[in-house]
Parts: sequence; C-alpha cells; structure tokens
Amino acid sequence: MVPMENYLVLSGILFSLGVYGVLARRNAVLVLMSVELMLNAVSLNFVAFAAYLDPDKATGIIFAVFVIAVAAAEVGLALAIVIRLFRNRSTANVDEAATMRW
Amino acid sequence: MRDFTLFIPEYIAVASAVAILTAELVWPKIRKDYLAYATAAGALGWLIAAIPYIGNTAGNFENLLLTDDFTTYFRILAAGIVMAIALLSAHYLQNRTTTAGEYYGLLLVGGTGMVLMAASRELLTAYISLELLSFSLYILVGYLKRDRLSNEASLKYILLGAFSSAMLLYGISLIYGVTGTTSYEGIAEALAARDGGTDAATVVGIMLIVAGVGFKVSAAPFHMWAPDAYQGAPLPITAFLSTASKAAGFALILRLFTGALVVDAVEWRAAIAVLAAITMTAGNLIAIQQTNLKRLVAYSSIGQVGYMLVAIAAIGYGDAATAQSASSALLLHIAGYTVSTLALFTALTAHYNRTGDDSISGLRGLAETQPFLALVITASLFSFAGLPFFAGFATKLLLFQASTTDGLLWLVGLGAANSFVSLYYYLMIMRQIYLFDPAEGQTRFRPTPLLGALAGLLLLGMLFIGIYPQPVFEATDHAASALFEVSASVLASGR
Repeated sequence: MVPMENYLVLSGILFSLGVYGVLARRNAVLVLMSVELMLNAVSLNFVAFAAYLDPDKATGIIFAVFVIAVAAAEVGLALAIVIRLFRNRSTANVDEAATMRW
Repeated sequence: MRDFTLFIPEYIAVASAVAILTAELVWPKIRKDYLAYATAAGALGWLIAAIPYIGNTAGNFENLLLTDDFTTYFRILAAGIVMAIALLSAHYLQNRTTTAGEYYGLLLVGGTGMVLMAASRELLTAYISLELLSFSLYILVGYLKRDRLSNEASLKYILLGAFSSAMLLYGISLIYGVTGTTSYEGIAEALAARDGGTDAATVVGIMLIVAGVGFKVSAAPFHMWAPDAYQGAPLPITAFLSTASKAAGFALILRLFTGALVVDAVEWRAAIAVLAAITMTAGNLIAIQQTNLKRLVAYSSIGQVGYMLVAIAAIGYGDAATAQSASSALLLHIAGYTVSTLALFTALTAHYNRTGDDSISGLRGLAETQPFLALVITASLFSFAGLPFFAGFATKLLLFQASTTDGLLWLVGLGAANSFVSLYYYLMIMRQIYLFDPAEGQTRFRPTPLLGALAGLLLLGMLFIGIYPQPVFEATDHAASALFEVSASVLASGR
C-alpha cells in the first residue's frame, strides 16, 4: 500500500503551487484557478487522513465533499464578479483594478 | 435527539429573506424602501423570537450546534445589526439600484451565518457558517454593479477571502490529521492526551487557522482587503462589514479557542499577542494619513480588532478565571463597538444621502448645516477613542483590565498608547466638522425622520453602555460563563 506520507507530500506541493500562483498571477481567472489548486490540496489531505487514520467514521471524506461544493459556489460567484469588472473596465487583470491604494 | 425547535429565530430570519426575494419577483415595481421595512420587521421578529432562549438550558443539536447564552447573545446582536442596516439602506439604495430584493435577503442570510458561527461546535459546521456570511458579503460589497469602485472592492475581497479560506481549510485538515476528529471537544481531548511535547503538524495547523481567521476579522498583516472593501462597498454595507463580520469572526474565535485549542495555548498565545500588537499599531498609524472617510473607518476598525485580540491573547496566557473575564469583557467591547459604529454610519449615511461626498473634508462645517448629525458623529468618535461617558470608555477599560495578566502587561500598555494615537485622527475629523465653514452651496438640512430617530436611539444606547454598563455586563457575563461551562472539563483536563 502507498504510505500516507506520499499523499501528504503531494498535497503540500499542490498547496505551495497554489500559493505561488495566487501571488504571481496577474489575471483574476488564473488567481482563482490557483485558489482551486489550494482547495484540491485540502481535499486530498482530508481524504488521505480519513482513509488511513479514521476509516470507520469518514469525517474527512464528508469534509472533502463539502469543500468541493463550496469551491464550486465560490468560483461561480468570483467569475460573475470578474465579468462585471471586465464589462466596466475591459480588463480582468488584478493589478489594473487598482484605483484604491493604501 | 434532533431538536429542530432550537433554531426558530433563524427560521424566521431565513423565511423573511425568502419572502422578500419572492415579493420582488412577484411585484418587480414594488417600492424598494418597503423591502427595507420588511427586512427590519423580519429582523425584529427574529430578535423577539430569540428572547425566550435567554437563560434556557443549552440546547445541543447533534453535537454540531449549541444554543446556549453565548449563541443567544450573538443572535440578539445579529438581529439588531441587520435591523439597523436595513433601515439605513432604505433611502440610500432607492436611487442606486433597480433590484433590491437580493440585497435585503442576503443581509438576513448573512446575519444567520453569523449566529451559526457563534453556535458551531464542530469545524465543518463552523466553516460552512463562515462561508455563508462571507459569500453574502462578497455579493453585497459588489452590489452597485455599475460602480467601478464597488466592482474592484468585491473582486479584491473575494480573491483574498477565497485565499484565506483555503489557508484556514489546510490548517483544519492538519488538525484533523493530528486528532482524527473535527468536534471541538474531541480535538481538546486528543490534544490533551498527547504525552507532552509538541509536533510540527499541530503548530503549522494552528498557525494556518490563526492566519485564516485573522484574514476574516482583518487583523494586520492580513488586513489588506479591508480598506478597499470598505471604500468600494455601499455605505450601509461598510457598516455591516465593520460590525457583523467582525463580531461573527470573534464569536467563532472565542468558541474555537476556548473550546478546543486552549489546551495547547502555549503554541498560539505568543502569535496572537504579536498579531494584536501589529494590528492595533498598523491600523492606528495608517489611519492618520487617510483622506477618505470610509478608509479611515476601516483602519480605525482594524485598530479596534487589535484591542479585541488582546482579550484572545489573555485567554491563552491567563488561568481559567482570567480567560472567562477576558471573554466577557470582549463580548461587552463588541457590543459597545457595534453600537458606536452603527451610530457613526447612521449619521454618515444621512450626510452622504445629502451631499454624496465620502471624503473627510466633505464633512466641513457639518456643525452648522446639521448640528445633530455632527453631535452623533463626534460622540461615536469619542466612543472609539475611549473617552468617558461613551460606550468605548467603559468597554475598553474593562477589556484591558480583564486582560491584564502576567506576560501581557506590555500589550495592554501598547493598547493604551494606541488609544492616544487614535484620538489624534478622530480629532482631525472633528476639526473639519466644528472649525471650518460649510463648503460653497451647502445649506442647513434635515435628515429623514427615520435616520434621525435611529441616530438618536443609537446615541442613547452609546451613552447607556458608557454610563451604566451593568445590565449589558451581566448579559455578557452569562454568555461567557455559558461558553466556559462547555469547556470547563476541557480546561480541567488540559491545564
């Protein structure tokens, strides 16, 4: 059987990539995708912990299902906001939406 | 047993939300201020339905939610906030949007999320409640669809909010991995059962949770979204952001930290203390150079969050008695801060409806054009700064007094010093109001009777809490002892 550490390392890598993407990307849609990557890392963590440490209650698996559902709602909402921004400013770049600073 | 009668007040809130949404669908031409009054009526029903729960034995819903005095306290607070915000929005929203049903519906749903955050005894429930409030706020902040600032504010808010949720969730997943459960009691037991020592997973998990909730209550250095969201949002929503979302964040923090993480206080208390120090200092120093009123309030509320975090640090440093009195003082401070903020925003909304100017210099000569609003603004600013006779004095005094414990004296001292800094920029606003002549073309005006009455009522509330805090203090005392009844066994096993 694959040891649990492999899953945790993979999820750590996914999470870090997501954080890097949020910090480095300019386009709002790509920032959102990076956040999705972070949330996938979270789901992977939950499923791995549930399968190895808590197999009879499966709290982690239920948590993962909820994370996926909330993430879907979040993307729907965020894309709607990005579309509004694009209609008003013809850009979806985060650093160009910078009328307000400090 | 599943006791569905525990949440009758929230049923009323959500039912009114659905009714308001439907009403606008059926009669699209309905006057928008009627929707506001309907929301206020729904919130009033919510508040009245919550009253019978005061002092009741705690109702436990499947170990997921708990309706004790702590929950009831936040129920009344949430219903009051929603009612005030709905009345504030009545006139403001009338000329700015064509649809208002979602706005008022989401206000009620967000308030429900706040109550559920206070009631949660389990991480998944707490997270879903948190998102219920956050999602409502993302939409409300961007509600003025054609306003560029409103778009920008909601984009920044949702991107950073989603980012912080992901961090919070990663922390939760690590804690779940260490303890094998998501219920607060289970986590406390599992953390206490570890044979001494500490492990990296717990520390990283707790730090990620602290960062995640720090984002939600806008503690520096996680505060960057707050000024932009505050400035871009419709004015009543700025008030909602600075009262409901902060109160809800602290409700969740109090439940989680006293119920689950207190066993491991060594691992997070220093971090919270440093966070409190940075938050109050950064908030108050950056506030000095603001020219926009909403941004200034944002930074000043960040400063207030710093004071509130002092109490959370005291829970980690002090013994059980200190922890309980610090929680009680924190609840009292939240009540005083909420009333002062709502009073300030009622006056600002009345001013904004007239002038459409949200810069600080826009308040020039307000003492001449509208002396009553000038008085309310002055009183609430004095209350924020913590001058006697106003709510902020009594609550901040009790907060610092209760938090004074070994190892935290420096933080309390820093808090007192920060209060002086904040007085400087509050006085700068009063200088505009009282020492300058009104701008060209500004004549004397009257606020609408509704806003005038609301401002007067909140002013009285502020004076009441400031001069005679006893009744509110007793309420917060009950709420805090309910909180600690649950975690008494936890504390006994952990310390």
